[in-house]
Amino acid sequence: MRLIDRMGPQTLRLLALLIVLALVLGFFATQIPNYLNGRLFNRISSAVAIMALIACGQTLVILTRNIDLSVGSIVGFVAYATGMMIHQFPDMHPLLLVAFSMLLGGAFGAVNGVLVAYARVPAIIVTLGTMAIFRSMLVELADGSSINTSMLPTWLVNFPNQQLFVLGDLQFRAGFVTALAVVVVAHVALARLRPARKLYAVGSNPEAAEMAGINTRATVFWAFVLAGALTGLAGFMFLARFGNITVVAGLGFELQSVAAAVVGGVNIFGGSGLVLGAFLGAVLVNVIDTSLVRWQLVTEFWREAVLGALILTSVAVDQVVMRRLTRLRRAGRSATPGASARPAPGASAPALGGSSAPHGAHGSSASPGATGSARSGSANKGSDRQEGQR
Amino acid sequence: MSAPVLSLRSVTKRFGATLALDAMSLDLFPGEVHAIVGENGAGKSTMIKTMTGIHRPTSGMVEIDGDPVTLTGPHDARDLGVTAMYQEPMVFPDLDVAENIFISKTDEGLLQRPADLRRRAADLTARIGMRLDLDRLASQLTLAEQQAVEIARALSQDVRVLIMDEPTAALSAHEAEQLRAVAVRLARQGVAVVYISHRLEEIFEIADRVTVIRDGQHISTRPIADVTSETMIAEMVGREVDHFFEHVPSKARAETVLEVRGLAREGVFEDISFDLHAGEILCMAGLIGARRTDVALALFGIAPATSGSIRYKGSPFSPPSPRAAIAAGIAYVSEDRRKLGLAMPMSIRANITLAKLSDVLSPSGFLRRRREIEIARAFRERLNIRAADVETAVENLSGGNQQKVMLAKWLTVKPDLLIFDEPTRGIDVGAKAEVHQLIRDFVADGGAALVISSDLPEVMAMGDRIAVMREGRLMDILDNAEATQERVIALATGQAPMQEAS
Repeated sequence: MRLIDRMGPQTLRLLALLIVLALVLGFFATQIPNYLNGRLFNRISSAVAIMALIACGQTLVILTRNIDLSVGSIVGFVAYATGMMIHQFPDMHPLLLVAFSMLLGGAFGAVNGVLVAYARVPAIIVTLGTMAIFRSMLVELADGSSINTSMLPTWLVNFPNQQLFVLGDLQFRAGFVTALAVVVVAHVALARLRPARKLYAVGSNPEAAEMAGINTRATVFWAFVLAGALTGLAGFMFLARFGNITVVAGLGFELQSVAAAVVGGVNIFGGSGLVLGAFLGAVLVNVIDTSLVRWQLVTEFWREAVLGALILTSVAVDQVVMRRLTRLRRAGRSATPGASARPAPGASAPALGGSSAPHGAHGSSASPGATGSARSGSANKGSDRQEGQR
Repeated sequence: MSAPVLSLRSVTKRFGATLALDAMSLDLFPGEVHAIVGENGAGKSTMIKTMTGIHRPTSGMVEIDGDPVTLTGPHDARDLGVTAMYQEPMVFPDLDVAENIFISKTDEGLLQRPADLRRRAADLTARIGMRLDLDRLASQLTLAEQQAVEIARALSQDVRVLIMDEPTAALSAHEAEQLRAVAVRLARQGVAVVYISHRLEEIFEIADRVTVIRDGQHISTRPIADVTSETMIAEMVGREVDHFFEHVPSKARAETVLEVRGLAREGVFEDISFDLHAGEILCMAGLIGARRTDVALALFGIAPATSGSIRYKGSPFSPPSPRAAIAAGIAYVSEDRRKLGLAMPMSIRANITLAKLSDVLSPSGFLRRRREIEIARAFRERLNIRAADVETAVENLSGGNQQKVMLAKWLTVKPDLLIFDEPTRGIDVGAKAEVHQLIRDFVADGGAALVISSDLPEVMAMGDRIAVMREGRLMDILDNAEATQERVIALATGQAPMQEAS
């Protein structure tokens, strides 16, 4: 069996993203002189360190078929509050300070979670509301002043840029390595921990999750809390990296994080996606963003439009690459005996005699009927409601 | 007989003013297949939901092993070994088969070990006699395979009562056969199987006892040997249904509405040729996957054919889009009324007038509400749509009434050719007979109907001629007089050879 045959569709998705990333880097390398170097890596890795954490949290929420638009405000508030905290208590232990920021973020997440999971208000409305509320709370907290680097201990300011190790030209700094570690841990946890698989189950088919005895409300609640905590951690990193925190800190991060997750292959309708995908999505969006600033062909006025167009293009290319890879894999699979489902010999139907599974091939072919059927389960929410309500 | 596993003791359930269950009592014994029949709206779903903890009885109680229990949700019921599966399998499309099977098992520990999960999943699927690719995502499975996944999931938790609600409604004959074999096998292993189906022949095949319910009330429970389909139907509908599955002589006229010659869509179907006359009902029979719907989609312009020719009302016709087909007087009533047919949260009125809004627009382009209501009321009358009024949301109607709303919608465009895909799937016998009559009325007025159906008795009753398809090929076209169920099955499963150009 070739390597590609053993990859799940999600792994293929990561591969497709890496290919697109390479294409984008290759493209800008032809446009911008002296493009691929260590400085580019540093610039992107420090920006991604913050966005990757938020995108990771956003992924948890999107997986459950929800969305969190309040992450930008949470980053801002947590960054500011954490700055005040360390200013007041300069001797506070670093880990305690990290815990503080994560708890604070988690508390914001819990507010969202309660409203979405238990009060049953759609997430987009809840978090649109809390986005504004949390931001206003920050304005109130700041009361016209701002945090600046001079109020922070040096360990904190130096932390993100601390060089941990060097690979050739590339410097791996503490901020980036921390974020990467969190992403990897979250990725593995989502793939292998049973409670985490419930996030996928709930987003994949909420009704079936309920029927299967999964506590869907608690699952959604904890997704928001964890997202809040990860966003809180991002707030901490934001404070450490920039040092200067005003009331606009983190503005627009909600859209960037959703973009990162979706570009990274997280299904906006829930149920599928990988944290590593969201991470690569964050990298891709950031690479495009940073490179556009240096691309002489594009004036400042057009940058946003080009960014949007490039994101759309990479999503499209990603789809094409993904389809190619899937086809490559299918070609390999169909040659493998036993790959398609068929009834065991003992169960063959007596009435139909020797007819060996009339359309055995149907299951493995990509017929619209076969692949569409599962999704229809969720579209058919009314299916067993009709009798009860009459 | 041993003691019952689960009993309902005079369970009553009210929804507002509606009495869904009226002092229902029932005993389920281990090791038997207990069929429950009743029209849609008789209270079967509500009954299941009280057994699985989704609904709490307004009065009365649920007993397990003779002890009263309070079920607060499906989770509770599963812990006590009571599991239900539905017509639409409750699977997680984005998870693989093995994960789908073990998702509701609670004592699994924190870490998921894929290899271990696969091994145990293989054991369970072997127990029900199905072989599934455990690494496949559930979205890639056929409906039958998804149902197998659900049964395996129930088995992962020591199921004692397995409730199967219309499990075979959307399956091909062969798949349904397999599923019934699984139900019997589980009963022999000591599970109490509750089997709900509108296909009476299935019930005679596997049930040990049959309970009939009507209007939320228990009508009878008898050993299968003591019932006939006539008595069962009579009890279900509370009236005699005569000539239920009898063919009415064809009223076909000479004029040909549709001439299809050598129609093909590459890799999907090939060499399809048939004529359809005014006043005629042509039924398309075949197994699921025989590509009957694809032929219909080609005629309706959704997925046009790649070769061959269609003549419609005497002139060449190749609809590039559904719009063109509708404009030419062709209506296609989809098999999936929830997804492709109806706007579920909208009213009966809005759904009926949707296909031909131009009829209800004033010259200035505004909707004429009063005209809409008039049209909707007329159709409610004509098709006997049972609802409080035309403002009722379609999602609150029973399956049969939804089907009638969909038919009404298409009748507003006054089609000459009606393509009806699985017209009575999942609806009760009474409504079935009504839908059949509506189609007959349609052709009696000079229309032509192409009816795709997987329900053999329906095919035999409706089809003036019966076209049998298998794997994208038209096997034969039989006159109603020469057709037998056996012959159709033989053609559909490839047991009988294909006829050359009949």
